[in-house]
Amino acid sequence: MNALLRYASPILFVVVIATFGVLSPKFMTADNALNILVQSAPVGIVTIGMTFVLLTASVDLSVGAIMFLAAGIAGKMLQADMSLSVALGTMLVIGVASGGINAAFIARLRIAPFVVTLAFLFIGRGVALTITQTRAMNLPEGFLRLGSARIGGVPLPLLIFGMMLLIAHATLTRTPFGRQLYALGHNPVTARKAGLNTSLLLASVFLISGFCAALGAILSLAQLGAVSPKFGEAYEFKAIAAAVLGGASLFGGRGTVLPGTLLGVVLIQSVEAGLVILNADPYLYPIITAAIIFIAVLIDSGRNTLLERLNRRRIRNDSAQA
Amino acid sequence: MPSSRPTKETAGLILPGPLFRRALGSDYFVLGLCMIYTLAVGPFTPGFFTPENAANLLSTALPLLLVALGQMIVLITGGIDLSVTSIIGLCSVTGAMVMNPESGGLGGDMLTVPAGCIAMLLVGMLVGIANGFAVSRCRMPAFIVTLATMMGVGGFAVWLTQSKAINQLPSAFNALGGHTIIALAITVLIALCVHMLLGRSVFGRWLYATGHNPRTAHISGVPVGGVLIAAYACSGVLAAVASVFYTGQAETGSPVLGQRILLDVIGAVVIGGTSLSGGRGKVLWTIFGVLFLKLIDNTLNLLSLSIFTLTIVKGAVILLAAVLDALRIRVAGHPA
Amino acid sequence: MNAMPAIEFSGISKSFAGVRVLRGISFKLGAGRTLGLVGENGAGKSTLMNILGGNLLPDTGLMVLGGTPYTPQGPTDAARAGVAFIHQELNLFANLSIAENLFLSALPRLGSLPWIDRKALHDRTATLLGQVGLAIAPDTLVEQLSAGERQLVEIVRALALEARLIILDEPTTSLSVRETETLFSLLRRLQARGIALIYISHLLEHVRELCHDLVILRDGEVVAQGSIETYDTPAIISAMVGRSLTRLYPERRGTSTTAPLLEVRSLTQVHIVRDISFTVHRGEVLGIFGLMGAGRSELARILFGLDTAQHGEVRMGDRVINRGEGPRERMVRGLAFLTEDRRHEGLCLEASIADNLALVSLRQHARTPLRLLDRNTWQRAISTVRAAVRLTEKVSDAQSVQTLSGGNQQKVILGKWLLAKPEVLILDEPTRGVDVGARFELYQLILDLADRGAGVLMISSEIEELTGLCDRILVMSQGEIRGNFPRAEFSREHLLAAALPREAHA
Repeated sequence: MNALLRYASPILFVVVIATFGVLSPKFMTADNALNILVQSAPVGIVTIGMTFVLLTASVDLSVGAIMFLAAGIAGKMLQADMSLSVALGTMLVIGVASGGINAAFIARLRIAPFVVTLAFLFIGRGVALTITQTRAMNLPEGFLRLGSARIGGVPLPLLIFGMMLLIAHATLTRTPFGRQLYALGHNPVTARKAGLNTSLLLASVFLISGFCAALGAILSLAQLGAVSPKFGEAYEFKAIAAAVLGGASLFGGRGTVLPGTLLGVVLIQSVEAGLVILNADPYLYPIITAAIIFIAVLIDSGRNTLLERLNRRRIRNDSAQA
Repeated sequence: MPSSRPTKETAGLILPGPLFRRALGSDYFVLGLCMIYTLAVGPFTPGFFTPENAANLLSTALPLLLVALGQMIVLITGGIDLSVTSIIGLCSVTGAMVMNPESGGLGGDMLTVPAGCIAMLLVGMLVGIANGFAVSRCRMPAFIVTLATMMGVGGFAVWLTQSKAINQLPSAFNALGGHTIIALAITVLIALCVHMLLGRSVFGRWLYATGHNPRTAHISGVPVGGVLIAAYACSGVLAAVASVFYTGQAETGSPVLGQRILLDVIGAVVIGGTSLSGGRGKVLWTIFGVLFLKLIDNTLNLLSLSIFTLTIVKGAVILLAAVLDALRIRVAGHPA
Repeated sequence: MNAMPAIEFSGISKSFAGVRVLRGISFKLGAGRTLGLVGENGAGKSTLMNILGGNLLPDTGLMVLGGTPYTPQGPTDAARAGVAFIHQELNLFANLSIAENLFLSALPRLGSLPWIDRKALHDRTATLLGQVGLAIAPDTLVEQLSAGERQLVEIVRALALEARLIILDEPTTSLSVRETETLFSLLRRLQARGIALIYISHLLEHVRELCHDLVILRDGEVVAQGSIETYDTPAIISAMVGRSLTRLYPERRGTSTTAPLLEVRSLTQVHIVRDISFTVHRGEVLGIFGLMGAGRSELARILFGLDTAQHGEVRMGDRVINRGEGPRERMVRGLAFLTEDRRHEGLCLEASIADNLALVSLRQHARTPLRLLDRNTWQRAISTVRAAVRLTEKVSDAQSVQTLSGGNQQKVILGKWLLAKPEVLILDEPTRGVDVGARFELYQLILDLADRGAGVLMISSEIEELTGLCDRILVMSQGEIRGNFPRAEFSREHLLAAALPREAHA
C-alpha cells in the first residue's frame, strides 16, 4: 500500500501511455511525443509556479485569470502598435504584480489562500474582459513566430519550458530559498522557530506563480495567435492536477519540478492528446480532467493520512514488528 | 503550563476601535450596510425605487438565498462547497429531461412535475453526499473536492445536453418557479426550517460543534463524518431547490443556468458574517448578506455597468468579507 | 572545575497567573560539566529550562552565561549565545536532508551566487557527524532515520550552532538500548570537548551514569544539590517526594465494591502499551500514576476508542467492547473521557458555556421524529449541572468558554460528562493548571460520582492527589503496569520508585 502510494504518479503515467498506445497506433510515435511536449510548454510553466505554491501548503486559483489579464493588456498594446518586446515585458510585470496582490492578502493579512486567489480569479477576469470588451483579438505575425521558431532545431517553446524546468529545479534543490520553502511547507511553526522569514517565503511563491502564469500566457498565445475571451480558463485546474499528479502535496512540503512537474504535465497533456487522437467527444474533456484531479488528490490525501499514522510518537521501544 | 511569549500573529491587522468592534459583532451590521448603501446609491440609480424593481430584486434574491443557506451550513462545519453552481446546472438539465415530453416519456401525466422535482432534488442530494463522503471519509480538502465536482458535474451536464437548452417544460412547473409568491412561500418555509434546524435540533448543535472543533466533537460522541456528509447533502438539496426556481423562471433546462452565481453565494454568506473557519453562522446573517449582494447587483445593473464590472465588484466584496472575517476572529480572541 | 561557571542562576522566580512556579532558584554549572536535573512533573524543570532557552522571561533573578549576564529575549537570542534546547518533540524537517536541517537558516553559498555550496555543506556536515562518531551520509533525508538517529541529529545541530550549553529533555524515551548507548557515547565526546550539558530525565540510572552534578527541584525550589556521588537512588527519590503537603481532600462517603464495571485484559499495542490488565469496580476510584510519557494517556485513548490496540479485550459489565467501536458507541455503553488537552479536545473554545455543557447529552432532549430540542428540559439540565459543578464566576450561559479560568473550563467539561450519566469516567490529568479552590471542588465532584456507584479511572502525575482520593493506585511506566497499590499500602516513595523507568528492557 505504502509503495503503491509512493510511486502512484509513475505507475499512472505508464498506465496512461500504455492504454493510449494500445488504443491508437498513432499515439506512440516520435512526432506525437514531440507534439505533446511542445503543447505541454504553456501549462507546464504555469504548473512550475503552482508547484512552488503547493510546496508551502497554499494554492493559487488565480493563474488562469492572471494569464488572461496579461494577455488582454498585451493584446491592446499590440493593437496600438507598440513593440512586441514592450508588450511581452508588460505581461511579465503584470504577472508579478498580480502575484504581489495575492501575496499581500495572504502573507500580510493572513487570509486563506484559496479565498484570496478565488476572488482574484473573478476580479482578474472581470478586469480583462472589460479591457478587451470581450472581443477576440488577433495578434501580429511576430507573436506567432515565437511559437514556431526553432533554435538549433529545438522549438522555442520547448526550449523555454526546458530552461524554466532547469531553473526551477535548481532553485528548489540548490538554493537556500528553495530548501527553506520545503521547510516552511513541512511545518510553518518550526520554520519560524528555526529563524526563517516565513511571511517573505510565502509571499515570494505567489510572485513566482504570477510570473510563471504570465510566461505561460506568452507561450500559449504564441501557439494560438489570438486572445479569446475564454483564454486561460480552467488553467488553474490543469496546473493543480498536473502538480499533484507529479507528486506535489496539497498539504505542503512535498513535490519536485524534475521529474515531478514534468511528469504530471506530460501525463495531463497525453490524456488530452490521446483523447483527440481517439476522436473522443470534446464534451467529455472536463469530466475526465475532473476525474484526474479527483484521483490525484485522493492519492495525495491517502499518502498524507498514512504518513501521519507512521509518525506517531512512541512510548516504548518494542522489537520491530509489522 | 509554560506558555510561550505572545506571538505576533496580529501584526498583519490592526485591531479596530471599540465602537467598530461592537458594530462588527452585531447581528444587524450588514443590514446597516445595506441601508447605508441604499440611501447612498439608490437616489442616483434610475428605476431603483420602483415596484417592478422591488419585485425583480425579490424574485432573483429567493433562489440565491436558498443556495446561500446551503453554503452557510457547509461553512459552519469549516468546509466550503464550490460545486453548487454545477449542481444547479445538472439538476436543471435532469429535471428538464424528465419533464420534457420527448425525452421524459411521461407525456402529460399528472405526475410529470412531481417526478421532475424529485429527480432534481435527488440529483442534488447525491452530488452533495459524494462531496461529503470525499471530505469526511477520504479526508480530502473541501475546496479542491468541490472544485473537481464543479468541473466534473458541470461537464457532465453539458455533455448530457450536448450544450443545448431543453424547452417545452410543463406550465405547472414554470409557474412553480416563476411565480414570486409561490417561490417566496417555499423559500420562507425553508429558511424557517434551516433556522430551526440550526438553533433547535441536535443536528444543528452537532454542525456548530464540528465546525468549532472536530476533535472535541468526535470525543464528545458527535458522528463527525455523518454530520459532514449531511451538511454537503443539505447544500446539494438546497441548490436543487434553487434550480427548480431558476429553471422555472427561465422556462428551460440549461446546464449553465447557475454558472454566474458562485461569487454571489460565497460573497453573500461570508459578508453576512458566517466564518470561513467554521463554527459561526446564522440564517438571519445570510438573509442580510444576500440582500447586500443583491442590492449591489441590482444597482450596478440599473446603472448599466457591464457584467464584468459586476464580477470585479463582487470579487472585491469577497475579499472585503474575508478581511472582515479575519477581523471578527481577532476581535473574539481579544475581548475588550 | 574551571573558575568560570558555564551558567549560573541566581534567584530566578516565575509565576503564572498568580501561581508561583519557581521560587528563587540558584545554582551553577561548571564549564564542561554535566548536570542532572530531576524532579516530579510540575516541579518546575520545564519552566526553568524554558527561561534558559529564551522561551520565557523570568519575573526576577539573574542568569550569567560564561561570565557575562544573559538575558535572552527569544529562542534566537539563546541560540546566538550558544544555548541549545533539545525538546522531546524534535524540531527537524523530515523532508530535508541532515545537512540541510543542520544549516537551514544559514546555508553556505557559492561566493555571492544564490546557489548552495553543496560541497562545503556536505563537508561541514560530514566533519560534524565525524566529530560525534556518527556514520550517516549527510545527504540522508531525516525521514529515513530512526527515532534515535533523529535525536543525534538534533544534538549535532546544536553543535553546528556552536552551542556551549546543551539542554536535553528526556532524550532516551523512544530510543532502543543500542541507540541509547550511541547517544551516551556522543554525549561523552561532548563532555570531553568542554561543552556543558543539562540532562533532564526520570531515568535515574542514566542520570547517575552520565552526570557529575545533581539538582533536585520540588514545588519550584531547589531541595538538594551537589555532586552526584553524594546521593544514592533512595535519597534522590525521598528528596523528590519530600514531606507530604497538608492539603485537604473531601471526605469519601461511599466505599468501593467488588462488582466489576470495566475490565481490561492484556491490552497491547506495539510501541505504545504492553499487556495491560486491570478492573475498575463499581464505586471505586482507581488511580493511574505515572510520569509523563509512561503511556497513561495513550491507554486512556485506547479505552475510549480514539486509538486502536492490536491485542486484548475491554469489557463493560458483561459485554465485550468491539475493537472497532468509536467514542460514540463507547459513550452509549456508559464510558466518559475527560482528556488531558482541555483546549483542543475538551472544549469548543469559541462556543458558549451552554453549548459546551449540552454537547454530549443532546439526544436526551431530542423530541422525535424531527429531533428538535426541548428547550425546557435542556435549559433545566444546564442550570442543574451548572449549579452542581458550582460554576463560580458570574457568567451567562451564552458567554464563550474561552473567557473562563482553567478551573471553570474544567468544571464545564466535567459537567458535560456528568450530564451523560456515565458508568465509568476516565479522567486524564483533570487538575492540571487548576487553582487550589477549584481543585477541591473537582475532587468533590469526582468522589460524588463514585459514591453514586460509578467507577472512576483517574490518571495523574501528582502522587499527592492520587493518594488523597483513590481507593487503589496502579503505577504505569514505559507502557506497562508496574505496580498495584491498595489504599493501605500507599507510600509516596514506593509509588515513585515503581514509576521511574527502568534501564534496558532488552
